[in-house]
Amino acid sequence: MNAQTAIIEILSAMTTASSLFIIAAGLTLVFGALRIINLAHGSFYMIGALLMATLLGTSHHALFWPALLLAPIAVAALGTLCEVVLLRRIYHRDHLVQLLATYALFLIFSDLSLRLWGTDSRTVAAPAMLTGNILLRGASFPIYDLFVIVVAAGVGIALWLLLQWTMLGWQIRAAVEDPESLAAIGTNVPLLFTLVFTLGAFLSGLGGAVVAPLQAVGPGMDQSVIVSAFIVTVIGGLGSIVGAALGAVVIGLFQAMGILWLPTWAPAFIFLAMILVLVIRPAGLLGTVGSAYFGQND
Amino acid sequence: MISFSAPWRNIGWRLLIGAALLIALIAAPWVLPLPWLLVLQNILGLAVFAVATNLLVGWCGLVSFGQAAFYGIGAYTIALSWLHYQTSFWLSFLAAPLVGGLAAFLVGLVALRAQKLYFALLTLAFSELFYVIAEQQYDITNGANGIFGAMVPDLLMQPALGYFFTLLVSVLALSALWQIFRSPFGLVLQAIREKRGRAESLGANIFYHQLLAFVISGAFCSLAGALYVVHDQTAYPELLDWVKSGDPVIMSVIGGMYAFAGPIFGAFIYQIAHDALIQYTHDWQLFLGLFLLFVMLFLPNGLAGRVFAPRQPSRTTDDAGS
Repeated sequence: MNAQTAIIEILSAMTTASSLFIIAAGLTLVFGALRIINLAHGSFYMIGALLMATLLGTSHHALFWPALLLAPIAVAALGTLCEVVLLRRIYHRDHLVQLLATYALFLIFSDLSLRLWGTDSRTVAAPAMLTGNILLRGASFPIYDLFVIVVAAGVGIALWLLLQWTMLGWQIRAAVEDPESLAAIGTNVPLLFTLVFTLGAFLSGLGGAVVAPLQAVGPGMDQSVIVSAFIVTVIGGLGSIVGAALGAVVIGLFQAMGILWLPTWAPAFIFLAMILVLVIRPAGLLGTVGSAYFGQND
Repeated sequence: MISFSAPWRNIGWRLLIGAALLIALIAAPWVLPLPWLLVLQNILGLAVFAVATNLLVGWCGLVSFGQAAFYGIGAYTIALSWLHYQTSFWLSFLAAPLVGGLAAFLVGLVALRAQKLYFALLTLAFSELFYVIAEQQYDITNGANGIFGAMVPDLLMQPALGYFFTLLVSVLALSALWQIFRSPFGLVLQAIREKRGRAESLGANIFYHQLLAFVISGAFCSLAGALYVVHDQTAYPELLDWVKSGDPVIMSVIGGMYAFAGPIFGAFIYQIAHDALIQYTHDWQLFLGLFLLFVMLFLPNGLAGRVFAPRQPSRTTDDAGS
């Protein structure tokens, strides 16, 4: 393999990693504070992509930027609704109930989006300034893939700023450690949980909206992405955002190498990697019990 | 321990209902139109699948989202040995639970190192692992197309005989599971679920008990998968994936997972509702999701919870690891 193809392979691995990170960050953020594995997280991702397709129609490139913001906001509103109506009633229930309740949401959203958007796959066109290729050291690389990487980096930095440097971020981290004490000093913890879940849904919707131009948008997106997002968060450590980034890079590279060398065994290796990590380090590579997203509090 | 003795009070009328049900099931081929006979045949296999899954989820408090792996292994045991070696159906049907039990032993050794949520995620990962292997190894498994063909003997292809065979096997399997449920071993499993620490201090080896439970569950799930082949003469990757793993868990929760017969009841309701609803609407998953939420929020012991085990405690707090 020469240097050019190596660069291309690594960059496309990073593109996969970036789209996975945006989704996994939401999943891990929600788990960190709420201790819930949200099986409907993939539905939010699919709805984000489908809304993007609807808002853009087939040819309205000019609407790309507003749609990129509007679709995740609509998904976030849906997330708020789920949290207020259903999830806050089951925080004290055991994990079987929590898994099945979010699984029920997954089934409901899967059917509703079939009803609303039909079975056909749609394509979403990227705006003119993001189409085409650029030359990197003689190798040609799609501009849109670079855009996905930039968005993922932006999400990572924004989450870091939010959680480390704002009052809201401190409260979220405190809620991970000790929600009772936080409530005792006057913070509205239920409202905080609603906000966290809304933010998680927003990120998932954003992930779907951003990758929409890269793939066929249609039913089934929810089911395939949730498993990938699980692998990423579990490998990195449930509740750790840096871990989600690490997990996303590991899986991105794994997939890229697997497709090159062992295409039929690559997906199996990814699951084996997840199983191995869970057995050796049940809390994931960077997860520690009680750590608040960045793993430095243990 | 009080909760286990309660069902025995009603043994008289329970026996009566059981006998009436059995007679109805035996009479079914003469009464039911063919499409519904096949539905019933499907349900009998699913009832074994649901009770075997509930052996972990309900009896042990081990939430497995991966039992479809063993269901699929049962189906693939028959399909693959037919495809590659033309093995006799009867032989591979007998082998299916053994292969499933062996796979469950290996998976259980790893998965039972984790607890609670992590156990659920590990079993889900194993389910997906088997799914991608079945889907990707095209040369061995025909990939996503699955395997179909004359793998079931002509004898069992006659609807009534296929039905009676399924009835016989599932009644035997459910009786065996019932014996396990009320055996000392079954009681220890439930004791571990209720008070893990106390059961351990009384001398129960938790890992050994749960591993054996996992193997038994895997073997019976695999048997149910073999019964699926009798019903549908095919094996395909979706039999192994995590969405399929959700089905028996849903059946158990709907029917009531703290009663032995709850999952059987759940399998009947689930599949009849499914087969009836899809004739009229495309929104089966929507109704299922809404109904599931209703059961979860308002009927923590399932529909049958009150009928079959009136004194089972309603468990609303997470004390499984205490």
